Amino acid sequence: MASRAKSWVEYRTPNWVQWCPGCGNYGILTAIYKAFAELGLDPARTVLVSGIGCSSRTPYYVNVSGVHTIHGRPIPVATGIKLANPELTVVVTSGDGDLLGIGAGHFVAVGRRNIDITIIMHDNAVYGLTKGQAGPTLPAWIQTKALTAPNIQDAVNPLLLAIASGFTFIARGYAYHTDKLKELIKAAIKHPGTALVDVLQPCPTYNNIMTAKWYEERIYYLDEEEPDYDPYINKPEDFKEKMPAILAKAVEWGDRIPLGIIMIDKTKEPFQRRLEKLVPGYLDMPPAKRPIDVDGKPIIDLLATFKDRVIET
Amino acid sequence: MAVDISLIIGGPQGGGIESAGQVAVRALALKGYDVYGVREYHSNIIGAHSYFNLRARDKVSRSVKLPVDAVVALDAESILTHMDDVKEGGILVYDEAAKAVKIDRIAPMARPLKQRIKAKLESMGYEASAAGALSYLSEVKKVKLVGIQIKSIVKQVAEETRRPLVSVSRAANTIGVATAFALLGVEAEKVMKAIEMFFAGKRRVIEPNIVAVRHAYKLVEENYGLADPLPDGPFKGRTRIVGTGNDFVAMGKVAGGLTVQTYYPITPAADEALYMEGHRLAQLTKEAAERLGMAKAPVIVFQTEDEISAINMAIGAALAGARASTTTSGPGLSLMNEAISMAVMMEVPVVITVWQRAGPSTGMATRVGQQDLLHSIFSGHGDAPKIVLASGDHEEAFYDAIKTLNWAEEYQTPVIHLLDKTIASSIKTLDPFDVSNVRISRGRFLTTASNDYVRYKLSDDGISPRAPVGVAKQLNTSLEHLEDGVATEDPVVREQMIEKRMKKMEKVLKDLPMEDKAVLHGDPDAKITILSWGSTKGPILDAMEALEAKGIRVNFLQVRLLSPFPAREVADVLAGSEKIISIEANAMDQLASIVKMYTGLDVHHRIRKVNGRTIHEHEVYNAILKVLETGSPLEVMRDGV
Repeated sequence: MASRAKSWVEYRTPNWVQWCPGCGNYGILTAIYKAFAELGLDPARTVLVSGIGCSSRTPYYVNVSGVHTIHGRPIPVATGIKLANPELTVVVTSGDGDLLGIGAGHFVAVGRRNIDITIIMHDNAVYGLTKGQAGPTLPAWIQTKALTAPNIQDAVNPLLLAIASGFTFIARGYAYHTDKLKELIKAAIKHPGTALVDVLQPCPTYNNIMTAKWYEERIYYLDEEEPDYDPYINKPEDFKEKMPAILAKAVEWGDRIPLGIIMIDKTKEPFQRRLEKLVPGYLDMPPAKRPIDVDGKPIIDLLATFKDRVIET
Repeated sequence: MAVDISLIIGGPQGGGIESAGQVAVRALALKGYDVYGVREYHSNIIGAHSYFNLRARDKVSRSVKLPVDAVVALDAESILTHMDDVKEGGILVYDEAAKAVKIDRIAPMARPLKQRIKAKLESMGYEASAAGALSYLSEVKKVKLVGIQIKSIVKQVAEETRRPLVSVSRAANTIGVATAFALLGVEAEKVMKAIEMFFAGKRRVIEPNIVAVRHAYKLVEENYGLADPLPDGPFKGRTRIVGTGNDFVAMGKVAGGLTVQTYYPITPAADEALYMEGHRLAQLTKEAAERLGMAKAPVIVFQTEDEISAINMAIGAALAGARASTTTSGPGLSLMNEAISMAVMMEVPVVITVWQRAGPSTGMATRVGQQDLLHSIFSGHGDAPKIVLASGDHEEAFYDAIKTLNWAEEYQTPVIHLLDKTIASSIKTLDPFDVSNVRISRGRFLTTASNDYVRYKLSDDGISPRAPVGVAKQLNTSLEHLEDGVATEDPVVREQMIEKRMKKMEKVLKDLPMEDKAVLHGDPDAKITILSWGSTKGPILDAMEALEAKGIRVNFLQVRLLSPFPAREVADVLAGSEKIISIEANAMDQLASIVKMYTGLDVHHRIRKVNGRTIHEHEVYNAILKVLETGSPLEVMRDGV
C-alpha cells in the first residue's frame, strides 16, 4: 500500500454513473474516492470486486482495477484474488441483497477466515435494480412502494451476523455523511483482517420508508455521543468484559441507530499468517508470483515429491 | 503361460478392506506384474459391504473381469454377495465363523440382493446362508473352499506381538489376502514387503501384519500345500508408481504448475484435493532449484464453504495470475454453472476437474456413471463456449491435467477435465511419468503492461494479451463489455465480443493435434467401429483383443475432446465404418447424441451400463458379440454387485 496521498479526482473515471438522482451510492462512491486518495492506493494494485445490483456498478466508476462478478459471489472472487496475491488491496463493494441474501454463506465463511479484505455493504434494504423487492435488511411488515404486500420476513442484522461469523472489524456508516464514511472505510482498509462497513443508504426510488429523513432522525455517532464506548477486543479476556456493550450497540435499532466502529478484534490471526504456518514460503512466493516453469518446462521432481506412490519392484 | 490373476477381496467398510487391497496391489506389483484394481464401495463409513476387484498380468492391466480366480470373503455377506463371482474350480477363502450366518441376519445387506441370492440358493435346494452358499460353491462350482479360523489366528498374532487383541484385529484382512496369495503362488516375502511399503514407518501396524502373513502361509503349507511360485513378471526390477486416478490428477496438476486448488468435499473428487494437500510443498528438480533459487514449490489447497465459492475463488486466484483449478463431481458442477458462464464471459483461465458419479441428484454417490457429458459441454448459461476434455485412463488423466492447465491459459477460458469414479478410485501401476517432453505454456500472459492496457482487446483469433490484476490496472466483468472492460449493451460491440469468444473455439480445433481430439484404436480399416469416451477405454481395448482372437476385427474411436466438438475428425472416421456401436455408462447415449448433433451420423447399436458398477472386459466382449450376432439395437451390461 503506497502512502503517498493523491487527489481524489484521480480516482474518478470518465464512465457515466448510471444511478438515480439522489441515490445513496453517490455518497458512498465519493467516500471511496476520498478514502483511496488519502490512503494513496496504487490503482494497479488495488481491486474493487462487486456482485450484481445497482451498487455493484461501482468498479466502473473508480480508477483502480475492477472485477464485476455475478450475483452473490464477490466475496469468494475477492478471496481468491487476495489468496493468490496478498500484496493487493482488495475491497468488496456490493449491496445487502447480494451479500446477505444470495451471498450470505460467503459472508459467514469470509468471517471465519479473517482474510484481509474490506467489505463495503451498500445497505438500502431493497433490490433496486430489479425494481424494489424486499432486501434482507428490510424489517418485517414494512411495505415499501414496489411491494404488493408487506414484507413478511424479518431483517437480518448484518452487524450481529458479522460478529458471529468472526469479522474482526465491524463498522456502520451512513451514505450521505461522506467524510465520516471515508474515515470508516480508511480504517477498514488499514485493518489487517476481514472488515465490514455496513453503509445505511437511502434508495430514493424504491425505499420510501427508510428515507434520508427517516435515517437522519435516528442515526448518531458513537464517537461523538458515547465517547466512552470501547470497541476494542485486544485480548481474549476482553470478550467477556466488553461483548455485552458491543452486542447492545449491534442490536440497537429503531429510534436510535448507532454509527461508527462497533468492534475491532485484535485477537484473531489474519488468514495470510495462518496460511504461512501451514505452507511455509507462501508469503514469499504467493500463488500469483511463484515460478511454475523454467523455459516452459516443469520444475517439480515427481518421484521425490510423490515418493509415497513409488515402488521399486 | 501368460499370467492373468484376478482376485476379489470383500468385507465390511471400515474393517481394513482398503488397506488389504492396497497391500495386495503392491505385492503383485513387486512380483513384476502390471496391476489394476477397482474399488466398489457404499456411501457409508462403517459396516456396508465393499470390495476390491484386482487383476495382475504380465502385460498391461487396464480392466477387471468376472469371474475371478479367487475371492477372499471374511464375512458372511461377502461369501453370499460374491458366490457367483468366483470361477469354476476357483478359490474361496472365508472365515469359518461366518459359516453359520443366515442371509436374513445380515443387516447391512440390501433387501433386493438378499432376495436374489436367497431365491437362487433355495431354488437349487441350498439354505439361504453362508453355509448354503459354501455347499453350492463346492458342489456345483467345484470351488476350492479354504476356511480359516480368523479369530484364533488373530489371537495368536496378538499374543506373539504382545498387543491388545483389538489393535491387531484388522490383520484379519491380511490373513485373508495372504492365504489367497499362498494358494495362488505369490511368495510371502512379497506380501510382507508390500505391508512395510504401504504402512511405511508405522511399526505398530507393520509388526502384527507381518506375523499374520507368516501364520497364513504356515496354515496353507500345512493344510493345502503352498502353490508353486508364479514366474516374476516383466515389470520386475523397475521403478514403478502405484496410485488412483485421483492421485495422478493431483500429480499432473502439481507438475503442471498449479498454485491454487479450491474444493468443497464431494465424492469422488475430494481425494484428489486431499492427496495434493498432503504434498503441498512440492520438491523441485535439482536443475530447477538451482535456476530459481528455491527448493520447494508451495501449492495452496483450500477447502471452501461450497462449490460456488470453490469455483469463484479459483476464478479470483486466476485473475490475480495464479494457475488455478477446482475439483468436483456432478452435483458440484451443477452449482458451478453460473460461475463457469462468468469465466467464459470474463475470459478467465480456470480448470474444473469433474469426477462423474452415478446421478441424477445425489444418486449413488460412490458408484460409476458417465452421465455428465452433456452437462459439461452445455454448462453455463448463454452462449458459453468452453473446452471439455475426457481422459480415458490413469495415464491420460495425468498428462491431461497438465494440458488442460495450459489450454485454460492459452485460450483464456474455463476448461472442464472430465473423468469418472472408475478412474478416481481404481488403482493402477504405471511406469513413472515422463515430463521431459511436457511443456508449460501460459499463452499470451503478460508480466508487465503499459498504462493503456485493456483486458479484452479484439484480435484475429479472439485471444487478447492477459495481464493479471496487480500487474495492470484493468476491468474484468461478467457483463458484456467494451475492449476496456466497461459494461456495454451496444449491439455492434456485443456481436464482436460474442464472435471473439467463439473464435477461440475455432482456434482450439485448429491448434490441437488429432491425439487430443479423438484416437482411433485398432485396425483403421476395420468395418466395425466402437464409439466411446472416458473410462470405458480399458475394458474396450481388452475386449477388442479377445474379439481379435476370435477373428472379429473392430476398431475403437475414443473421443477425447468433447467441446469444441471435433466434428470433422469424428465424421471422417465414422464415415468409413459400416457398423457403429456406442458404449457408454449412461441411459441417454450422451456421446452418440452429440455425434448425431454435430455430424448427422447415427450410431447403429448402443451398449449401455447404468447399474452404477464399473464396466468389465467380459461384458463389453459379450455385448459386442451379441450385437454382431443378433443385430440388437440396444444391449445393456448388468454385471457387478
